[in-house]
Amino acid sequence: MDWNSWLPVFIVLSSLLPGLLIFSLAEHRFALRTTLNLGGVLVKLLLVAWMWQGVKAGEDYYFELPFLPGGSFILHGDALSLQFVLLSSVLWLVTTLYAIGYLEGSPLRSRFFGYFSLCVSATVGLALSGNLISFVLFYELLTLATFPLVVHRGTVESLRAGRRYLAYTISGGVVLMLGAALLHSLTGSPVFMPGGYLSPLLAEHSGLLMLAFVLLITGLGVKAALLPLHGWLPEAMVAPAPVSALLHAVAVVKAGAFGIVRVVYDVFGVDVMQQLDLTWPLVMLASATILYGSWRALQQQDLKRRLAYSTVSQVSYVTLGVAMLGPVAAVGGLVHLVHQGVMKITLFFCAGNFAETLGIHKIRELNGVGRRMPLSSIAFTLGACGMIGLPATAGMISKWYLASGALDAGYPLVLLVLLTSSALNAMYFLPVIYRIWCLPAGDWPAPKQLSRRFETHWMLLLPPVITAVLIVLMGLLAGTDLSPLSWSKLIVEREFSYD
Amino acid sequence: MNFALAAVLLPLLAAVLALCWRRQAARLVWLSTLFSLLLALAALWQVVTFGPASMQLGGWQTGLAIRWQLNELSALLLLMTALIHSLVASYSLSQWRDAGLSADFWPLSALLQSALSSLFLSVDLFNWYVTLELLGLAAVALVLLSGKKALQAAMRYLLLSLAASLCYLLGVALLYGHYGWLDVPQLAVAISEEPVDHRLALWLITAGLMLKAALWPLHVWLPAAHAAAPAPVSALLSALVVKGPLFMLYMIWSQLAGPELAVTGSWLFLLTGSMALVVGGWSALRTPYAKVMVAYSTVAQLGYGLLALGLMLHLTDPAFTQALFIFVLAHALAKTSTFLAVGEMQLRLGGKRLSTFRGASQTMPLAMFAVAVAGGSLIGLPPSGGFVAKWQLLLPLWQHSQLWWLLPVILAGTLLSAAYIFRLVVLAFNRAKPVRPDFAPALLPQWLALLPALLVWMLAFASGSLLSWLGG
Repeated sequence: MDWNSWLPVFIVLSSLLPGLLIFSLAEHRFALRTTLNLGGVLVKLLLVAWMWQGVKAGEDYYFELPFLPGGSFILHGDALSLQFVLLSSVLWLVTTLYAIGYLEGSPLRSRFFGYFSLCVSATVGLALSGNLISFVLFYELLTLATFPLVVHRGTVESLRAGRRYLAYTISGGVVLMLGAALLHSLTGSPVFMPGGYLSPLLAEHSGLLMLAFVLLITGLGVKAALLPLHGWLPEAMVAPAPVSALLHAVAVVKAGAFGIVRVVYDVFGVDVMQQLDLTWPLVMLASATILYGSWRALQQQDLKRRLAYSTVSQVSYVTLGVAMLGPVAAVGGLVHLVHQGVMKITLFFCAGNFAETLGIHKIRELNGVGRRMPLSSIAFTLGACGMIGLPATAGMISKWYLASGALDAGYPLVLLVLLTSSALNAMYFLPVIYRIWCLPAGDWPAPKQLSRRFETHWMLLLPPVITAVLIVLMGLLAGTDLSPLSWSKLIVEREFSYD
Repeated sequence: MNFALAAVLLPLLAAVLALCWRRQAARLVWLSTLFSLLLALAALWQVVTFGPASMQLGGWQTGLAIRWQLNELSALLLLMTALIHSLVASYSLSQWRDAGLSADFWPLSALLQSALSSLFLSVDLFNWYVTLELLGLAAVALVLLSGKKALQAAMRYLLLSLAASLCYLLGVALLYGHYGWLDVPQLAVAISEEPVDHRLALWLITAGLMLKAALWPLHVWLPAAHAAAPAPVSALLSALVVKGPLFMLYMIWSQLAGPELAVTGSWLFLLTGSMALVVGGWSALRTPYAKVMVAYSTVAQLGYGLLALGLMLHLTDPAFTQALFIFVLAHALAKTSTFLAVGEMQLRLGGKRLSTFRGASQTMPLAMFAVAVAGGSLIGLPPSGGFVAKWQLLLPLWQHSQLWWLLPVILAGTLLSAAYIFRLVVLAFNRAKPVRPDFAPALLPQWLALLPALLVWMLAFASGSLLSWLGG
């Protein structure tokens, strides 16, 4: 057996199998469930690390299974897929820790962690998908695996949000499938390749290619929360905090953004995109989403809703960077895929901590939290600074590359969009930080003592502290070999070096 | 061929034995379904290895004898029949005392299997009539097992079924009167040699079969009958019984209609199929009763069959034949699972309305999971069998821009099916009221309901061989 070709399969299975086992566990088997959860994460991280060094050395990991005529089921580990796999595995580790602490003593934990693992398996499978068909498969599975998490609480609001989530994502999935079927009927579904595989069709079928592009981007835009399709995201806030964290940072919105990256670079390719004139509309759409999301975030009084609209805006940076088609902008977009994930998950962890420990949901209730919960507040502050793009944080690296990429690719107006958005980011985050640190403690709705030593339960505290440290490290050590930035440069080198 | 013959005769024998020896009826029929499953597998293996075969029953020469034909398609349908029957029989065996299922179920279901299997193997208009009649009578009797409350639905089913048979018989008589053949391939040759106007005969046959298969707009009897029957019976009716006449429609139209008539017929099928998808889906979404919803979903799903049949006639592309029969297969598995799981939950949770299922994801997670997974195939999510069928249907469509209007129809059908499936699923995720502490539904029936759903969910990975068998 060729181990290299099985490695992507094992990476998917390392969370799928524990997930299936967890479903069958009785509610009270806390230790076994935790062992399975963490064991799965650790195995996955080891396998991913192995693949990471292999891909870096130019190794190819390719698994193929007969599926449909003209398109096999392919798992393929390349530099781009690894970016997303790494992000989701690392963030899965911290989110699992957080979720164990968060759900302690609540009912239906086996079901929760079962679907949680399925959700990560679908995300990783989606990242490793080697062609459009496999991608569509995991995209749909992801919808199904996340739905039970969104409605986990089973209350009227969460069910309403769940229905809305399904209405959006299932429709989006169907549209994506139509687009994939259209392309499949033209060329089959070959493996993703840098530069795309559609240029031979350009002369004859340019109309159909445009239609396919619109269908694919619409289908992916639902999950990526592009402008008219973002309605489900703020509603889905009723989910438990670890789910929101996962949804916003890794699983769902990122799946959409990652899909857009794949479609632009590896299905259509830069040349076809330019010849079909598809760049402008996508850049416009992304810019509009960025501004609209920031604007709406400014109006929200609920902390999680403000963060949700901020996600709408921030995820579109990825689309923007990719749509401009220049290598520098691409680095910015790709690195933001990771940076946004780490920053947003920190913010959601902290919001969850405030809600769990002090019962805080509204922004005006945050007064003086900094002294009661200093570590969470520091983490929150770092995440917010990153989002604004202040120096020495990860966010600044993304914005720097996006801005210089915009100039490089000939989109000076995008610079204006970035500046406006950063200003809006500052406008909706700085007042929050001001309340946390500078105002005297107010009346917190429901203060609880979750730990004698720390400000809150250690399992809730550790994850945001880790990710906050990561934000700073990714900002300071961006120049080193291990940083997401240098990996993004590697991806761009490989994506743009075809002929 | 011998294996296939045995797969037909074994259930017949079991039916007779079960009538004589009622105390062991359940076990006898259950064993016979398992063995006929093995026989059907052997028949498929035989076809794949040695190629198609045919046989003349009774040793008469062609034209007088009843001809049976075993090819990849009929072997696959035979296997489907045996598989669904063995699944349903296993479920009923684990369950029939609790469910109050009468012992008459066993001989009747065995008779049903025998009739349907021989229908799939026949290529003879009169033999089809006989098997169709048997199938209809057994089905009506099975619906009646529910007792008095099913009387009205069963009577309606019976009357319409008889009317349909008459219609069909009249058409057959017209054809026989003119050409003197009942054997379909011979008749096809005769028609091509002497093309007189056989339109009336074909339309009569079509009307009869559409009524039998509950194809829109002749579906009126189906929701009541399928909803009133006991759960295992509903599963058999929805998964298998309506597929018999659908198969005959395919055979008759693809072989006996000339190219010109085929195009006219294709319009009928395309239009009724589109309407079935949309109207059936809408009715499924509106009904407050769980089993009625599943029954309407059958009406809607048969719309895909009609579309595939219409497109096959319209564009003569073998991809649509593949789509038609993969759809038949996927729907059979998915519907078995749905009906068994819904029936099981109704039985344990006590209630017919959708609101019964509130919180079912906690009280009966396995059965609910079965509904959701099977629902994925009904919607057409990858990698399920429903997805493969829909994919085969969609792909060639992109090349034929004159039929673009089918795309929104299929899209609407997909979204409607997603809506009614998830309507149930969302209800199930409602936090349940605490149940009695002694509420511990048996797990085996739930697993048996889940099994076909898991099979259909993985069907795409077997699509390579399926497509090549159906490729023609």
